[in-house]
Amino acid sequence: MAEVVKRQTKLCKMVTSLFAVGMTLVASQTSLAGPREQAKRIHDRLAGVPPTESVLDQMEADLIGNDAVGAAYRAMDNSAFYSITLKNFVTPWTNEAETVFAPLNDYTATVIGIIRDDIDIRQMLYGDIIYTGNANGLAAYSNSNNNHYEQMEDQALDLQAVLQQSTQSSVTGLEAEATAGVLTSRAAAKAFLIDGTNRALFRFTLINHMCGDLEPLKDITRAADRIRQDIARSPGGDSRIFNNSCYGCHAGMDPMIQSFAYYQYEYNIESDPDGENGQLIYNSEGEIDPVTGTRVQAKYFNNKANFPHGFITTDDKWDNYWRAGQNSTIGWDENLSGNGYGAKSMGQELAHSAKFAQCQVEKVFANVCLREPGNAADRAQIQSMITSLSDNNYELKRTFAESAVYCMGE
Amino acid sequence: MINRNKLTNKFSVATANSALTAAILIFLSACSGGGAEVEETPVAPPPPTTGYSGPPPATDDVQAFKLNVWDNLYAQNRCGQCHGTSQEPDFVNLEDINIAYAKANTIVDLTSPKDSRMVTKVADGHNCWLTSDSACADTITSYITGWAGDAAGSSNSITLEEPPEREPGDSLTFPDDSTLFGTTIHPILTENCASCHTDAAALPIAPFFASADVDVAYEAAKSKINLDTPANSRFVERLRGEFHNCWSDCADNATEMENAIIAFAGNIEPTEVDPSLLKSRALFLSDGIVASGGGRYDASAIAVWNFKTGTGTTAFDTSGIEPAINLELDGNFNWVGGWGIQLVDGKAQGSTSSSKKLTDLITSTGEYSIEAWVVPANVTQEGPANIVSYSASTTSRNFTLGQTLYNYNYLNRSSETDENGEPGISTADAAEVLQTALQHVVATFSPTEGRKIFVNGELVASEDVETGGTLNDWNDTYAFVLGSSPSGDRKFAGTYRMVVIHNRTLTQEQVVQNFDVGVGEKFFMLFGISHLVDLPQSYLMYEVSQFDSYSYLFAEPTFVNLNGDALPDGIDIEKFRIAVNGTEATTGQAYKNVIANVNANDYSSETGQLLSRLGTVINLEKGPEADEFFITFEKINGQENPFVEPPVPPASEPEDLPARPEIGVRDFAEINATLSQITGISMANPDVMTTYQAVKQQLPTLTDIDIFVSSQQMGITQLAIEYCNALIEDTSARSSYFPGFDFNAAANVAFNSSTKRDLIYDPLISNSVGTNLTTQPSDTEIKDELNSLTDKLTACGGSCEADRTETIVKAVCAASIANAAMLVQ
Repeated sequence: MAEVVKRQTKLCKMVTSLFAVGMTLVASQTSLAGPREQAKRIHDRLAGVPPTESVLDQMEADLIGNDAVGAAYRAMDNSAFYSITLKNFVTPWTNEAETVFAPLNDYTATVIGIIRDDIDIRQMLYGDIIYTGNANGLAAYSNSNNNHYEQMEDQALDLQAVLQQSTQSSVTGLEAEATAGVLTSRAAAKAFLIDGTNRALFRFTLINHMCGDLEPLKDITRAADRIRQDIARSPGGDSRIFNNSCYGCHAGMDPMIQSFAYYQYEYNIESDPDGENGQLIYNSEGEIDPVTGTRVQAKYFNNKANFPHGFITTDDKWDNYWRAGQNSTIGWDENLSGNGYGAKSMGQELAHSAKFAQCQVEKVFANVCLREPGNAADRAQIQSMITSLSDNNYELKRTFAESAVYCMGE
Repeated sequence: MINRNKLTNKFSVATANSALTAAILIFLSACSGGGAEVEETPVAPPPPTTGYSGPPPATDDVQAFKLNVWDNLYAQNRCGQCHGTSQEPDFVNLEDINIAYAKANTIVDLTSPKDSRMVTKVADGHNCWLTSDSACADTITSYITGWAGDAAGSSNSITLEEPPEREPGDSLTFPDDSTLFGTTIHPILTENCASCHTDAAALPIAPFFASADVDVAYEAAKSKINLDTPANSRFVERLRGEFHNCWSDCADNATEMENAIIAFAGNIEPTEVDPSLLKSRALFLSDGIVASGGGRYDASAIAVWNFKTGTGTTAFDTSGIEPAINLELDGNFNWVGGWGIQLVDGKAQGSTSSSKKLTDLITSTGEYSIEAWVVPANVTQEGPANIVSYSASTTSRNFTLGQTLYNYNYLNRSSETDENGEPGISTADAAEVLQTALQHVVATFSPTEGRKIFVNGELVASEDVETGGTLNDWNDTYAFVLGSSPSGDRKFAGTYRMVVIHNRTLTQEQVVQNFDVGVGEKFFMLFGISHLVDLPQSYLMYEVSQFDSYSYLFAEPTFVNLNGDALPDGIDIEKFRIAVNGTEATTGQAYKNVIANVNANDYSSETGQLLSRLGTVINLEKGPEADEFFITFEKINGQENPFVEPPVPPASEPEDLPARPEIGVRDFAEINATLSQITGISMANPDVMTTYQAVKQQLPTLTDIDIFVSSQQMGITQLAIEYCNALIEDTSARSSYFPGFDFNAAANVAFNSSTKRDLIYDPLISNSVGTNLTTQPSDTEIKDELNSLTDKLTACGGSCEADRTETIVKAVCAASIANAAMLVQ
């Protein structure tokens, strides 16, 4: 390390003009683009790295041949699209701090795999699916650590090549009907089911997959009957805070996250305070929690004296109260009932909404175009891509391609 | 609040023809549960010297009356001046205690002391010797309770009586059209609230009442407007009381908003209650039957504060144990509806002379308990913040119940601690026992088991000691105080609903008993539904209380029928809602999904049929004296009136965002991968990986080009140098990358022609910039820069060090790949 620092210092002194060199060249990027320049930008945006000369030539030919989407798919053949672009695209969703610097994990790998294999992206929230690495020397997948994925990253393995699809139930042992895509991944459990009351999982699923926090969804006209006992109805002695603020979220959220009543992230707080070696726990049929006397995890009874007249969870039945009222505009799937038991059907409820599809498209647009959709033309493009996503079996790779083409320059 | 004389059709055990079947008796669960197995005699102060010289008490009961009631009330400044001799009933007859006893028996109810005429008369304003009628009433209740002994509270049932028959009254309702709103309230909202409360805001915060679309805004604003009492509108309260994002002066802004709502409401014609509603009869809170007051374990209570007064600056000790420790309220405080005080930045302190009662009565037993119903205002105060304290300063105390973040702390001075009561005990950090909810907290001390803390009936902290010590060192000159130390330090912000000091250690059972009873005044409200279910004397009964200053608690709706001969059966009751002042409450509907069927199997003539165990909080509107309630049903006894959701306003057209640059920069990972691709050096190269890990978070994480800063460029430079170093140090890799270049030549020879220089420049430019791209800088532009660098670095001539050539190539390499041509995408 000392040698590296010494070398860096010496060379830095020699090339102090680098910054100026770099910045004087920026201006030329904004000039008008022909097919070759458009191809270059498509590749840069999708793969994150510049194209090779031969790939650039082929993409240019694609564009000249009016196959811009084909050019984009060619760019996505570069493994950096998976190892760099998608890894960074997904990683912030997998932790509460929303940091992009978190290590590769089963959540991230599974989303990358789903996109790579053109699997319906909605399976992300309810499928019995997981991706693991198939390479020599890797630690086996473990329910109680993340070594398998961290080693993939440390070895800079090509995720496009090594990721292998499996059923979650066969890899983690979680029973098939209890799987819910990345929501029941170990990484999601470690981030959002650890401690607390499991509500964090719902909130961060909204943030990451419905493109909105709870704030804009607050609806104080929904029923109060499922708000749990732990929510103080007069926080600090002022019930106005509850009725005008807390209520709007909990009335809708609590009956949804009841779907996770049997899940817990279990770890040894004494020897492993950060839960690095914890694992997802699910109370199967017949497994009774001593605190609740049912399959419901004890955390659902936390602070039950805060409001004894509040809702007591006895099972994992969820109901979507937001199908009526202001949040009906989310566009819930009319072919679904809006209620059910367990995480899988709740994940499907979210994933089959129009808002979910819109969110995926908007996230991809922002990732590829390096900005939010900001005008009427952008919004029209978003609508067009939502339709295309639906028409193409919800293959998100297509949305990446269409976004790159839209933002390839003129 | 109940005036039973007004009731015209009274049902009670006493008046019904057939005993219990004629009335529904609601059993107080707390009365039948818990309770001490061993009766303890509270240690009371020695009776005052009365100077009584009449005939002796004829019986033990007369003696009990004298000690508990007569001795406390005979004084001239209490009841003795009138009822001592001259005025009937002479229940404090000064000459004959037995006469006083006989007269007192005509105005007391020993099974329910609070309902005694002696109490209610004073409560109604008859010559209270304190400044609070309720304080006098509670104090006399305590006297009578002491006299009654076991008899008090022996009545564990409440007789339900028919409430008055009242149709729900008219009310103001929101007009369908938003025009009036658009000219009164909407302009204020769009001008001052639109940066957050629109769906077009950068960080949209619901509700979107400031939307530019008046229809959208109107729908969202309705729940924030109180048409009957504009000042109670949430819009006004947020500005006036909570200083929420005022646009100039909060008071002025609140008035401006209130005036707008007054203008809006003033132009609305009152409308009848929606005639299509299936609705119960209407009630005021005062029509309810008082359900609270019994069941607490208070045998050892030596000081009690119920905070019923509601006005003034004194919180009265109504324990009946003299001297009363009346607390003077000081600083920023508020009385809380439904009984209580809220200390914002204040305290409630007793005099040292009255506080001495605690030392006297507690040191005589050597044990005690602090019991409090409190709502901590937050989980950030510490010190510990003094909730209940009997102390002199922050370093000297007899006891303190305090708060540190999520913990309750308990300090008690004993022979086992220092004079500050330390070491104290505390609830566990990880348990986060302290919540900003109403909590029942009991701290107990006994010489055998030391200190314990119970919260909401559960033991949450204790100490493992051989002895708790003695209290012999207590200082009787300290002051009892709520909300801070006597000196004003270590303030506690929060709400107190009740505080009791006992001079005995409450057992776990007694703690649970008092927790189960709850706090505050509760009512049974019987909403008439006979006209809907076709069965006379049928009611939907709620347990109702004022929850705090801003809401009511409605709980446990129960179908009851007061006609003991009728057996309800086959009555569907589905999806009901609580309505206030003519309209269904917007928030808090906990029963709109209930599907129930009242039937003979589930119905009990004693307890009715519980339809839901849930409780819910309904907003207070006009106040507990003026708010009128009724219940609406979507379905009842075959009749249906399905609820129709109001239409959802269409989403407003999003506003355009400021234009953003078409181009951006690569992020940290893309830069790393790009440099790897340009140089052909693996990202897994140990030196590269080490440097990457070191500079990773210095590199851009966002791709916005307009926030790119020089420190990020320096990070890129460092990483580029590492890649170039790895490339140049690898003789095989460099000869493959730079074919024909002589790395062994001296610096003044290796770069002495453009041909030689191009052997270095061309591969780097080709790999990092590409070819034939008009969006990239031209080769000439790049080479001009690189030549300038090379010229500068070769200026050492023949005196260059041996590895100068390699070093120059590394520098040229870094300059070629760490620039904007690589970075910009």
